[in-house]
Amino acid sequence: MRSGTRAVRTLPALRAAVLPGTCLVMAAPFLWMAATSLMGQLEVFSSRGVLPAAPLWSNYPEALTAQPFGRYFLNSLIFAVAVVAGQIVTATTAGYAFARIDFPGRQKVFMLFLATMMVPVVIVLIPRFLLIDALGWIDTYQGLISTELVSVWGIFLMRQYFRTLPRELEDAARVDGAGPFRVFLSVALPLAKPAVATLALFAFIDAWKNLLWPMLATRSMEMRVVEVGIAAFHSTYEINWPYQMAAGVVAVLPIALLFLFTQRYFVRGIQLEGIRR
Amino acid sequence: MRGRAALPVLAAVAFTAGTALTIAVAVRGLSDAQAAAARDVARMAAELWELAGGVDEAARAFLDDRVAIEAVPEGETRSGSGTHAYRTGSLQPAVRITVPPQPRMTPLPPAPTALALLGSLLMSAWAVARRRTPPAPRYPAIVALTATGLLGATAVTTHRWADSELEALSDGHATHALRAVEAALAIGADPERAVRVAGLPWATSAALTRPDQIWTMPRGVARALATVPNPPTASPFTVEASGATYHTGLVIPPTPAATTPSPALHLALLGYEETHAPTVPLAATATAATLLTALILCLLPLSTRPPLLRRTVTAWAFLAPAALLLAVFTFGPLLFSLWISLHEWHLVDPVHPFVGLDKYRNIILDTDWWAALRNTAIFTLHVPLAMAVALALALLTRGSRRAVRLARLALFLPGITSVVAIAVVWKWLLNDGYGPVNRLLESVGLGAVAWLTSPGIALVTLMGISVWMVVGYQMVVFQAGLAAIPRDWYDAARVDGAGAVQRFRHITLPGLRHTLFFVLVTSVIGSFQVFGLVYVMTEGGPLGATDVAVYHIYREAWEFLRFGNAAAMSWILFAVVFAATWLHFRLLERRTVRA
Repeated sequence: MRSGTRAVRTLPALRAAVLPGTCLVMAAPFLWMAATSLMGQLEVFSSRGVLPAAPLWSNYPEALTAQPFGRYFLNSLIFAVAVVAGQIVTATTAGYAFARIDFPGRQKVFMLFLATMMVPVVIVLIPRFLLIDALGWIDTYQGLISTELVSVWGIFLMRQYFRTLPRELEDAARVDGAGPFRVFLSVALPLAKPAVATLALFAFIDAWKNLLWPMLATRSMEMRVVEVGIAAFHSTYEINWPYQMAAGVVAVLPIALLFLFTQRYFVRGIQLEGIRR
Repeated sequence: MRGRAALPVLAAVAFTAGTALTIAVAVRGLSDAQAAAARDVARMAAELWELAGGVDEAARAFLDDRVAIEAVPEGETRSGSGTHAYRTGSLQPAVRITVPPQPRMTPLPPAPTALALLGSLLMSAWAVARRRTPPAPRYPAIVALTATGLLGATAVTTHRWADSELEALSDGHATHALRAVEAALAIGADPERAVRVAGLPWATSAALTRPDQIWTMPRGVARALATVPNPPTASPFTVEASGATYHTGLVIPPTPAATTPSPALHLALLGYEETHAPTVPLAATATAATLLTALILCLLPLSTRPPLLRRTVTAWAFLAPAALLLAVFTFGPLLFSLWISLHEWHLVDPVHPFVGLDKYRNIILDTDWWAALRNTAIFTLHVPLAMAVALALALLTRGSRRAVRLARLALFLPGITSVVAIAVVWKWLLNDGYGPVNRLLESVGLGAVAWLTSPGIALVTLMGISVWMVVGYQMVVFQAGLAAIPRDWYDAARVDGAGAVQRFRHITLPGLRHTLFFVLVTSVIGSFQVFGLVYVMTEGGPLGATDVAVYHIYREAWEFLRFGNAAAMSWILFAVVFAATWLHFRLLERRTVRA
């Protein structure tokens, strides 16, 4: 239609290159990490290329046994699973109340909850630490977990989702004589499964990535989570880069695999709320 | 009908239980302090007993026959309050030295008990009267005010009572400690040992000239201090009660041989009102009781409309798990942190003197803190940059949604995976001497860059990594936003002759406004809390160039253990985040609403 300017001719080529280029930039550090993790300890300093001369697979067992990484993984898993379970309970119940039950002060209470998303976590760390300490829960699972059991973002997400559900089914159950808890458990909650899956996914990843609180709430090596373990490993094996890269690969892998199999729930999270941090 | 009458009864029960519990907490705390005091006195007696070579008279002279010393049968290790089982040589307890706790002046606090009884009577009478009155609520506000007031008054008077009792206990205890030292000296112990006999939580200062200059320390440290090369050699001992702290001033007369008078060693005994005050449990109990009573009374006006009441109760039953956890682990800690920020609060120090707004004043004058805040603000500038890049990428890849789906893992991974692992990788990639990036630059003829070790560059490097972390994710978010803009609008604009820039300006931007706004607000809030990257990659360096707010607070709290400072800084950070968010809403969201 319009005159064939240069822009029109170069744009499609540029467009075709954008996505692969972006992916390469995004993935490069991870690929580099994987490559370095297979190099010899001295090879990393001399090697001109990116790839190892001969893959040194023994780096993995050696790095992973240098510190009790199995234990770290177990701790991370326990921590993340407990946090997911707790957040599902707190977020679905509260989200349902905010979405479906019209009670006086609902808007104000909801706003109060939302306002906590603005609060920097660092402000509550000291009181939480003192509280957990007073309970004698430092260096225990309950101390690690209990502070993370509620996520206001999760409540918001569940509220949004419950609001998109049709009320008719719930009304029908109510006519059949079901009480509010029965309606919630056997009608609303099963319908909200996709949102619950999204919530579980994000809660899991957030728990897995959490560094600051596990660092404060645990002391012994036996209670460390992966994130704290890698940080400690980093300061111990400062110059042994292949070992550190191997540990890094092992830390990244579970999340990457999890993502591969649950992509659509991520996207649902985006659709539900527009954004995620 | 029954349900309606139940609320006032419930309120009365909550009030009575709340006041009773508040008083019980204080009484319990006091009993604990007394038991601890008795145990300490028993320990003093035991040490005297050992010093005197196992002679009962020393301990008995010290305690005026209040002490009971009995041999312990083999195998028995039981110990109760005010008991100190003393072992000689072997692992077997040899004697048990028992001191009964000092009897309290009043078993129950008179004023709070009277207040609690009065309140409970009033509430009960009101609850009973309510059963006969018509369903319209009567004086609920007055009742609520009275109930909260009485609960508060009970808590305050109880605390005062506990404080004065603990002070009396401290007085008695300071005297005991002093007499123990004297008794030990009389037996012939050297002063170092004698001081350690009374080894309690000591407070000390090099020169106890001003009581407000005292700094306190835990028992182990104080004990080590008692062995300083200048042991106290003689009397006089004095017990000064100066406000909160009791000083046992052990003054060493200057030795004639010394050219300069050796400094006096002052030891001060911490008052129990400082170490055992049941302030926190008392406040927590009273607050919980007040909230519960107030909540029940708030429901009262709804009692004329049973469906509404039922709905409200149901809603709060659903909210209970989240609300309770938030109250305990977020709202409570917020207030607690405000409280801490008004005190000189050190992790290992049992005493937290009130300093008012001093912390805030000092922090506002602290250039390091301002530098950290400035670094955080500069770091936050990566958010608009990342958003611009992400938007450009989203526009360029528009229409190729299937390709994006395939590329998702690469796009998302930096944002969702372990921050520490990412930080370690980048630290390796960007290493000055042998990092791959610098080697690459050198091999193409460019010079190496001190990515993380040059004060001028390090923060920019961290910003770049942050952009890398968030850009893929934001791109996908923007794509979702773009897909939601109706295609017809563009077609209509094209028909009207609008160019690409105009279409972007008048259709794309307004259509994405909501998405842009929320990405901006949440990213800025998150960016103000950056920690992991700095913690692993630069530790705030070089020369404090990457010392961001949360990292600064982290070090203040967990390296220097200055909780008061850290809490005050956190509140300032909160204020900054709040102001930034409010500005965003003010400047941007209002326009969105109008648009």
